[in-house]
Amino acid sequence: MQSIPEIIRTIPLTNYIMLSSALFCIGILGVLTRRNAIIVFMAIELMLNAVNLLLAAFSSYYSDPSGQIFVFFIMAVAAAEVAVGLAIIVMIYRNIQSIDIGVLNKLKN
Amino acid sequence: MSLLLLIPLLPLIGFAINGLAYPKLSKSIAGIVGTIPPLVAFVISLQLFLNFDGQTQIIQLADWIKVADLSIPFAFQIDALSIMMLLVITGVGTLIHLYSMGYMAHDAGFGKFFSFLNLFIFFMLILVLGANFTVLFIGWEGVGLCSYLLIGFWNQKNSYGDAARKAFIMNRIGDLGFLVGIFLLIQEFGTTDYQTIFSTIKDGTEVGNIGLIAFCLFIGAMGKSAQIPLFTWLPDAMAGPTPVSALIHAATMVTAGIYMVIRANALFELSPEVLHFVGWIGLATALLGAAIGLFQNDIKKVLAYSTVSQLGYMFMGLGASAYTASFFHVMTHAFFKALLFLGAGSVIHAMSDEQDIRKMGGLKSKMPITYLTFLLGTIAISGIPPFAGFFSKDEILAALYHHDFAMWCLAILGSALTSFYMFRVFILTFWGDFRGTEKQAHHLHESPWSMTIPLIILAVFSVGGGLINLPHFAGGNEFLAHWLAPILPEPHEVGEVSFFSLEMGAPLVAAFLPAIFAIYYFGIQKAVPGNDESVQGIQKVIYRKFYIDEIYDFVFVRPIQVLSTFFAQVIDFLVIDLIVEGVGKTVKTASDEIRKAQTGNVGYYIFMMVLSIALILVLTLRSRIL
Amino acid sequence: MTAIIALSLFGISNLFLGFWFPRKTIQLVTLLFLVVSMALTVSDWNHELLWFGNMFRTTNTSINFSLIIQLAAFFVVAFSKAFGQDDEHTHPAEYYAIMLFSVVGAILMVSFDHMIVLFVGLEILSVAMYVLTGSDKRNLRSNEAAIKYFLMGSFTTGFLLFGITLVYGATRSFYISNIGTILTTTAPESMPSFLFIGVLLIIVGLLFKVSAAPFHFWTPDVYEGAPTIFTMFMSTIVKTASFAALFQLVSGIFGSLYTVWVLPVYFISMLTLVVGNISAVYQQSVKRMLAFSSISHAGYLILTVSSKQISTTSSILYYSLSYTLATVVAFAVLILVSEYQSARVEKPENFSSFEGLAKNNPGLALCFSISMLSLAGIPLTAGFWGKFFIFSDTFSRNIIYPVILAILMSAVGIYYYFKGIIAVYLKAGEIEKIEVPTLFKMALWACTLGTIILGIYPSLVKSVF
Repeated sequence: MQSIPEIIRTIPLTNYIMLSSALFCIGILGVLTRRNAIIVFMAIELMLNAVNLLLAAFSSYYSDPSGQIFVFFIMAVAAAEVAVGLAIIVMIYRNIQSIDIGVLNKLKN
Repeated sequence: MSLLLLIPLLPLIGFAINGLAYPKLSKSIAGIVGTIPPLVAFVISLQLFLNFDGQTQIIQLADWIKVADLSIPFAFQIDALSIMMLLVITGVGTLIHLYSMGYMAHDAGFGKFFSFLNLFIFFMLILVLGANFTVLFIGWEGVGLCSYLLIGFWNQKNSYGDAARKAFIMNRIGDLGFLVGIFLLIQEFGTTDYQTIFSTIKDGTEVGNIGLIAFCLFIGAMGKSAQIPLFTWLPDAMAGPTPVSALIHAATMVTAGIYMVIRANALFELSPEVLHFVGWIGLATALLGAAIGLFQNDIKKVLAYSTVSQLGYMFMGLGASAYTASFFHVMTHAFFKALLFLGAGSVIHAMSDEQDIRKMGGLKSKMPITYLTFLLGTIAISGIPPFAGFFSKDEILAALYHHDFAMWCLAILGSALTSFYMFRVFILTFWGDFRGTEKQAHHLHESPWSMTIPLIILAVFSVGGGLINLPHFAGGNEFLAHWLAPILPEPHEVGEVSFFSLEMGAPLVAAFLPAIFAIYYFGIQKAVPGNDESVQGIQKVIYRKFYIDEIYDFVFVRPIQVLSTFFAQVIDFLVIDLIVEGVGKTVKTASDEIRKAQTGNVGYYIFMMVLSIALILVLTLRSRIL
Repeated sequence: MTAIIALSLFGISNLFLGFWFPRKTIQLVTLLFLVVSMALTVSDWNHELLWFGNMFRTTNTSINFSLIIQLAAFFVVAFSKAFGQDDEHTHPAEYYAIMLFSVVGAILMVSFDHMIVLFVGLEILSVAMYVLTGSDKRNLRSNEAAIKYFLMGSFTTGFLLFGITLVYGATRSFYISNIGTILTTTAPESMPSFLFIGVLLIIVGLLFKVSAAPFHFWTPDVYEGAPTIFTMFMSTIVKTASFAALFQLVSGIFGSLYTVWVLPVYFISMLTLVVGNISAVYQQSVKRMLAFSSISHAGYLILTVSSKQISTTSSILYYSLSYTLATVVAFAVLILVSEYQSARVEKPENFSSFEGLAKNNPGLALCFSISMLSLAGIPLTAGFWGKFFIFSDTFSRNIIYPVILAILMSAVGIYYYFKGIIAVYLKAGEIEKIEVPTLFKMALWACTLGTIILGIYPSLVKSVF
């Protein structure tokens, strides 16, 4: 029976980085292409999860728990952010009955 | 130490109160608020004087400027010289504040006037208390500013504003020299601290440019103390209220140049050429001032030229390295010239702002106190023993006698002129018959007590002020010389003088003869100068002040005006309109373009950010990754 | 260190006080809290210590930054008035509590010795700011500012985290001191290349917070939309804290990797100067002008880190302090002009609404002008010395062209700052006498006086820093 770090180490580190980077880029693309605030928000969460994944991978790879602890911090903070973010979106929906970020461009120049 | 800080602080507080509360404060309160600070400062100075142990004391208030290796602290220095100056400034200052309460009583800007006076006292105290040239410079500029404000105090009249501006500009020319001197000091010594600089010199360390530094500092002194060629502002400065003329343009500010040279005596001693130059400039100024004073008909103008001339004497003394004598004359001059100005002010006050002595006369009976005190002042300035002016002027003359005989002869001539024009003014004003209008005659009155008390006090000092440095031959012990000895170079040994030698006799003759002649001519013959058109020949040249203002106007002002017209019309169009405005328009257009980048769309913002990040990553890492 | 515990407790107790006391009492109590926490911060002076499992480091530099932040918070609280429409329908205690919490975040950001603390501090500050920005719930502009700030902020947080992760992957540590040791002892060639991406992404994440171009787009919109009192908060506290974090990273652990980041930072500083100053010229709204002005000031600050050797800390601290004092006054007068005039229903923020201010409100006009002069860097104000120290520091490190550009740009700055002074003094306009509350007035004069004192006598604080 192999320990988990040993199993993880059977795959080169580069692959984990590639996977996470790909997820991260998908997140970026999501933010760029979508106009619905909630979906943009989900894309941002995707970026954060890419980071989480990479952290966990590094952590296991080096047998160093601090990376995974960081993951918990990110998740906790992200949850707080979600609460605030959704509140802002709800607030906007109440005012203009829309959550299209393209509509909000009164502040400019 | 804490008491010492109060000395400059009190006038500043007075300035703040009067300045902020003006015009809500009533006149009597404003006057008291203005007069108390110099009075208390005087008491503190007196206490400092009595307890002084001869030790130079440095009071470090704060690090002020610290740039690289240069460190200029905000520090005060208490030594024999600054204590003496403190006494003169606060003492004479208090009297003049008191006097102003009477003199300015009918003026709408009463509170403003007192706040300016207090500000002046503050800066003057900073000037003499400073422990380095930089702090001195703050005071130096500050008093210049106050002088400007006070000359132009009655700014409803355009010519007064012009006079204020002229004083400011002339002073600025001098200040430029002073500033260059300070920069050179920093370059050569790495500090502007008096003690460091003077001890470096004393140690015999070779330092370059000493002559140039001394010369630059003297240019500053020339501006502030109205020496040739920067003297023409002082007579014009008489546009200000008379107490201002007495305080700033006779007793204190104009002597700042002399104070500075005495302070920097170590520097000047090392450059004999500059000292020589100082002496001759002083002599020329003394003679020119006295000559112009001969035929002036405006009572304040005569006194102004007399001040120019007396300042010339002080510089002559400095040129002969007779620092004590010069400082002695600074002090006695402060007393009798302040007295004369205040007396003149009292006359002008009584005459309803008439300043022409041809229209006065016979005021003796109407204003006995003014008459008597003015007489004492006249005797003092003429150098008639045993009044204060005699001793101080005689000491300068004695130093000159041993220094340079030709200079001494010319100085005696100047002294004779002084005696003549002072008695001329005195007799024309107070003796004979009244020559003014009916209305003025009706209005004539002795001034109120707030004006006469300062006159009386100053008269006492003008008479007895000589005691402070009474020479040995008159039974004194040369107190001032001993007092100042620690900060001055070793005096040249002068032998005992006999009362009947040429050295002693000539000044006495120069004092008495012209006075007697003036009494005969104006008093007994009752001659009165004719009106402006009747003066002819050389007299006209002198009456017109040697056309110096006109010459300056032709040599300096006109070309500058032509140049400025050229700049205004040609350069202005080419450079300002085309290039500068072009830049301005370009910036505005660019601004208009760039702000369009701020579209207000979040998606666009994020896209630009991602693009930038990608660009940064690719550009910086292309060599590392690919 | 005790300061952050105290501030957190104070924040919570503020929430409870809100049940019983009116806004004015809570405001005073909050001011008291901040004074106490400042005293606690000072008590750590000269004790370089590690706290919380070696994750939090107090040094004199971090204490100075914390003090500037708390001072700014103090003034913001002093300048605050009823939030929203009136005291009845809002819960003022919550605003003060959020402000205290965000100050905790800011302090974490200036004293971190572990990436978690940096991240948590940044998020505490940011999330609090998202809430405050959108606190004017019925106002669409406030909504828009909040969603823009929120989306862009959390988006960049992603980059920052990705950067931290990559650096962790390369060095196997989150501890700043460990990372520093590893980076200095290992040759850059033997490092995995994703380390450099990580370093750049972390720097980008922080540059966003200090609103450096081209990551500045959020700044003018968010500053304009947010209630002015919170704009004041953002432009001082968020900026100072983020710059302190950036400064500590690039001057500390990333110092040995300067070849990687120095060029981008160099160009970003110049771009920021140009964009900030040039864009400000055209602005008609004072609030938006101040937003661009804050971008340009970020440019001056970034200038100090754009070389191998970093500027002396004291210059940066001095600059932050002078900028904070002047900005606070500018926004305070803006609040007075736009919100305290009972006769006006709408809230005017244009230059034209300042016209003729000097006539009936000479004190306000004076404070405003002095703050404008300080921001423009005119002598005898703190701003002059701030710029002088930064320019001479930078110049002595042989960074010539950006300094020349910066000086040119500060000349442009004079144009738009003086527009404010001209409007106040030279234009004719009708502004009634504005009734200024005593506390407000005291804070206003304190800041103005501070600006002048620092301008006349810079060594007063420069010697402390």
